[in-house]
Amino acid sequence: MTIDRRIIYAILLAVVTLPLVFPSVLEVTPMTPVEKLFTAVDKTTDDKALILDCSYSPQIKAEVEPMAIAVLRHAFQTRKKILVLSLYVEMIGLATRAINQVVEEFNISAQTYEDSIIYGRDYVFLGWQPPPIVPMLGMGESIANIYVVDYYGNQTDTLHMMEKIRNYNDISILVALSGSRIPISWVAYAQNRYGLQVGVGCTAVSGADFYPYYQTGQFTGLMVGMKGAAEYEELVETNYGVKGRRVASEAMLSLTYAHLAIMLFIVIGNIGFFLHRRKK
Amino acid sequence: MKKMIPLTLIFIAGLLGVISFVIPHPSYQVYDEWIRNDLLRVLSAFAVVLALGSLLRVHFDKIKRKRRNWQFSWLLLFAFAASAAIGLFGGVAADGILPTAIGSFRFDIQTLYENIVIPLASSMFALLAFFMASAAYRAFRVRSMEATLLLTAAFIVMIGLLPLGYSISKHLPEFVQWILNVPNVAGQRGIVFGIALGVIATSLKIILGIERAWLGGGE
Amino acid sequence: MNISTDPWVWIASILSLAILSFLYKENPFFRAAEHIFLGVANGYLVTFYWHRILMPILFRPLFQQGDLLLIIPFTIGILYLARFIPRISWLVRIPIAIYMGYWTGVLIPATIQAQIIKQIQGTVLTSANFQSWNAGPWGIVWSVIVFIGVLCTISYFYFSREHKGVIGATSRVGIVFVMIGFGAAFGYTVMARISLLIGKLQFLLGDWLGIIK
Repeated sequence: MTIDRRIIYAILLAVVTLPLVFPSVLEVTPMTPVEKLFTAVDKTTDDKALILDCSYSPQIKAEVEPMAIAVLRHAFQTRKKILVLSLYVEMIGLATRAINQVVEEFNISAQTYEDSIIYGRDYVFLGWQPPPIVPMLGMGESIANIYVVDYYGNQTDTLHMMEKIRNYNDISILVALSGSRIPISWVAYAQNRYGLQVGVGCTAVSGADFYPYYQTGQFTGLMVGMKGAAEYEELVETNYGVKGRRVASEAMLSLTYAHLAIMLFIVIGNIGFFLHRRKK
Repeated sequence: MKKMIPLTLIFIAGLLGVISFVIPHPSYQVYDEWIRNDLLRVLSAFAVVLALGSLLRVHFDKIKRKRRNWQFSWLLLFAFAASAAIGLFGGVAADGILPTAIGSFRFDIQTLYENIVIPLASSMFALLAFFMASAAYRAFRVRSMEATLLLTAAFIVMIGLLPLGYSISKHLPEFVQWILNVPNVAGQRGIVFGIALGVIATSLKIILGIERAWLGGGE
Repeated sequence: MNISTDPWVWIASILSLAILSFLYKENPFFRAAEHIFLGVANGYLVTFYWHRILMPILFRPLFQQGDLLLIIPFTIGILYLARFIPRISWLVRIPIAIYMGYWTGVLIPATIQAQIIKQIQGTVLTSANFQSWNAGPWGIVWSVIVFIGVLCTISYFYFSREHKGVIGATSRVGIVFVMIGFGAAFGYTVMARISLLIGKLQFLLGDWLGIIK
């Protein structure tokens, strides 16, 4: 007996939707790869900046955008200077979106100018320059040479932060958020030649593939999928009390039930297969 | 000539690429930076012009010959023209000559991106969850020892990664991390070596002109 | 329920539902949404390539600031458009050759360093690797397992000799590691796909219908 695919779709939809409509908080325990990334970002000193590479496409936004938001909250709360860029044009809009959301969150509750997140002082949005190898290798010599103007059209070298942040020597870590093999390219080009530290946030599809690079230390830390994003959100809130919507953490219950449903489908499918084989 | 020139150029360009890693001296790096920052950036922009030209040509052709679903090509052309006009004249950050707001209703390029491109792209991939569920039920059959091993590892990872795994046992997430750090790394690393050697071999074949598929058809 | 009054949220939701309607069967709404996506995405592309590359990197320096060296990339770039003229379409091979040649050249040493040398360094049995696990004496055991696993996996993918005898045994061990790796990848893939669906539902039920708070 085969189950109509539309019944499978309906069951999956119900199993994923109901926990969203009737939410329940699940405690998320950060694992070592995410903790290592968090610590590496945390260790950024006042004289250095971190780079956030938002190279994730709209197709995988659900998994990776919570990572971008968590890292931005982390940087802004701890007043770490942050440069944001994207390696592909179709992804730059997502970087814009994440920055706008987090900057607004912080500035709405800011009481003074010092509390506020100020463009050019606290963060710079470099934008995008193709092809990827140009910024990967070029920023090792001079960031302002590659991003002559930033995303908004300002001359990059006139921005306050960029007086002291010249090239990779002034960067503590680059956090590459991606759904493809871009983080490996960062390691192959920027880390090989300039010793840049690279941390990674990736979709769960690439997660298993990136562990060899994490094990060698080429990736300082690793966030994988929505669970990785939820762990980073947990660390940011626990360590720095940053309150904001935790989109990835909200999804954990849905994810759990959906996983159980998929496992049940596989088991039922195999039971049917073995019974059918036995009948024959 | 039609093949010799490109093959010679690809060899020279390939050599320059390899040399750039081997000669870090600033006197050579100046040229390398010019190749990357000026030449490659401009070439990538013109490559996009070519791609767009090809896309538009295909759809104009579809409309002209009234091929299947030709009416949708009008939609594509209109959407492209409208968004390109808004972007080109309205500016990247809504700072162009074309006003991109009527009262509180904005229609700048970022707004179009957030409300058209993102929802459409993310919806396309959201469909995959359903197809995966259906495929898991219909196609995932434990016919052999290897498949059983694969399924067992998958189930452990699926349960152990989530908060549910932690509530079953505090050691389950740690066991999952061990699976990912040890046997998974061993298996994946063997594949990484194979892929890396394949990439190097293919790159050498392209540079040396042994692999010529990129030349396309014709003379 | 707190339905959104933002017209853009409604547009985004209707377009999303048009794509999701493919689950029932292919239909004109799905096709229309697909074509709109392609059109707007390419319009977005054109915007950025014009404002951030062609104008500031090429046209302004070349025609306004007199940087004549840019004639070279400009001329080579124009050759891409030869693709549309059948008699001289072979000229498109020139910019392709330069772009692809440089990129594949740079790829070779980068791949050797990052994906071969560093990965071998992470595999061999050294005290640095034993200590990298932060697991005390168990670090030695894990390193040995990784070492054996990598060698056996490579032997599994070595097809120039028949898998008999020693190679047969090692490749059977190798397949165990490969299957565990693929199992982990499958588990992660399930999480990935479900996450994308959850993200879509969070938008539809939260931002649009206001059911999720």
